Amino acid sequence: MYERNGEKFFVFDSHLHFWDASPANWKPGAEEYAKGWIECFHAYQGLGPAETHWTLEHFQKYSVEDFEKDVFDEGHVDVAVFQSTYLKEWYTNGFNDIEQNASILDRFPGKLILNGRWDPREGEAGLRQLEEDHAKYGIQGVKLYTAEWYNGSRGWKLTDPEARPFLDKCAELGIRNIHVHKGPTIWPLDKDAFDVSDIDHVATDYNGDLNFIVEHVGLPRIEDFCFMATQEPNVYAGLAVAIGGLMHARPKFFAKVMGELLFWVGEDKMLFGSDYAIWEPKWQVEGFVDWEMPDDEAYSDFPRLGVEGKKKILGLNGAKLYGVQVPEELRAPVPSEAPADPTAAVGVEG
Amino acid sequence: MTLRARVLEALGTVYDPELDEPITTLGFVGSCVVSDAGDVQVRLRLPTPQCAPNFAFLMAADARTAVRRLPEAREVHVVLEDHYTGEEINEAVARGAGFDSAFPGETEGDLEALRALFHRKALLARQSRLLPVPASTLGELTGPDADRCRALRRALGIDASDGAPPFVTGDGMPVDASDVRFRRMSSLTALSLETNGGICRDLLKNRNRIPPTPRPTGHSVSCDVPLGTPEGEEVAA
Repeated sequence: MYERNGEKFFVFDSHLHFWDASPANWKPGAEEYAKGWIECFHAYQGLGPAETHWTLEHFQKYSVEDFEKDVFDEGHVDVAVFQSTYLKEWYTNGFNDIEQNASILDRFPGKLILNGRWDPREGEAGLRQLEEDHAKYGIQGVKLYTAEWYNGSRGWKLTDPEARPFLDKCAELGIRNIHVHKGPTIWPLDKDAFDVSDIDHVATDYNGDLNFIVEHVGLPRIEDFCFMATQEPNVYAGLAVAIGGLMHARPKFFAKVMGELLFWVGEDKMLFGSDYAIWEPKWQVEGFVDWEMPDDEAYSDFPRLGVEGKKKILGLNGAKLYGVQVPEELRAPVPSEAPADPTAAVGVEG
Repeated sequence: MTLRARVLEALGTVYDPELDEPITTLGFVGSCVVSDAGDVQVRLRLPTPQCAPNFAFLMAADARTAVRRLPEAREVHVVLEDHYTGEEINEAVARGAGFDSAFPGETEGDLEALRALFHRKALLARQSRLLPVPASTLGELTGPDADRCRALRRALGIDASDGAPPFVTGDGMPVDASDVRFRRMSSLTALSLETNGGICRDLLKNRNRIPPTPRPTGHSVSCDVPLGTPEGEEVAA
């Protein structure tokens, strides 16, 4: 919970990690990729305020004590979603697989929600693993990384026929929240890997059963994301990277990106995510609560974001998707619209 | 003008297809070494080791083509540095081969469809900056954005003559400057490209703090330093 000027904000962090990218975990023969991946993340951390930068060594592997301090003690986070990212072709034990994430759950009862993952290229075995993960951990969501390399393949799309049984399984088991993270590669390699039109298709097919949270608001394809999200009631904007990567480094772009998201997607369908450990939540939460749309002609077309909107984005929207009880005093006076209600889409046609 | 200056000028005509900006102003040309005999060695360094292979390939191949057009250039080597598919890309680019040859079995077509898609986005974005200008023909629009619009229209096979309509959709359909949907979509697309360009510049600055992987010795390193940092000013206002 974060309190500022008498207003109390419930903070639901929809996207964070507990990873091990230390050289000891680099897979022999794939060191170049493992090293490049974490150095790329570390460069992203450089987009935050200088006093929040870590050394590369610390960034590669941080302790559970660091995690507790950065996220819960100082980061204002009430409840967070642990996203699992495997990358087992590059990291021997995975970047942060579900087992590793689960190993620290007991330390933070009621504060961490564990998400799983699946990969359609794993076929029947992957489907069984998803069932097992659900049975063991009761997962309500998954994180999908479509650019993961696997057995000579450099990526996949949600519309691939092989993905259908997995989406059906999620709907059947009640794994409602599908976080999608696009990356730089896909099959075939000549297509735009960041394209979000596959999410558009499956969101329509599974409306009412599954919610699709597009991580990083579709960046670097925010235009395609906005056109899509405005038409799909079950598509949400995950703000990880938008806040961390722009609010400090490029404040004018941040204001415009927020303005476009508020216009096309709306404050009921935007979710705060710190993307820790890329960025600590503390400065992001505090900065976002203080943030105002500039009072300037260039921003006059954009909707404004008030205290209620900030409460929804920082916590209430995410808590609703994951069925988390928010203390009475922290709730919004007027409830947000239901997640899968088609009228939640902002109409721009005509 | 020295050959090196002409090489840099040629590299300035190579655009990052995703950002619609020259690779030189983005700071992607890490080094450019020209020998007395006219051999040219260009090293490209992108903002991350994991930048998309298809766009990376286009920039490397376009850079090689642009420099080889110079009659005085003898051997031309363009190398993508510290990139996770650099080996495949460098090998194919050196042979003048296509993207499908760099990644056999991993492509369905060449990269021209991808290039055209991003030309359409770039055209949409560029026009958003020209919309406030009252114009009834393309010829009435002037300046760098208008020139780039003409180049993009020509690349897409859209009429770019002076008498052509000033504003068109990505498919070449004439559109009125007051069309609200067009205005909204073009300004959002411009924001997207500008934001991505900003993030790329910031990431490259951070990346350049980590020195490149040491390379085998034995070639000239006299000019082998980054050619200035990427310009970092915000352009959105």
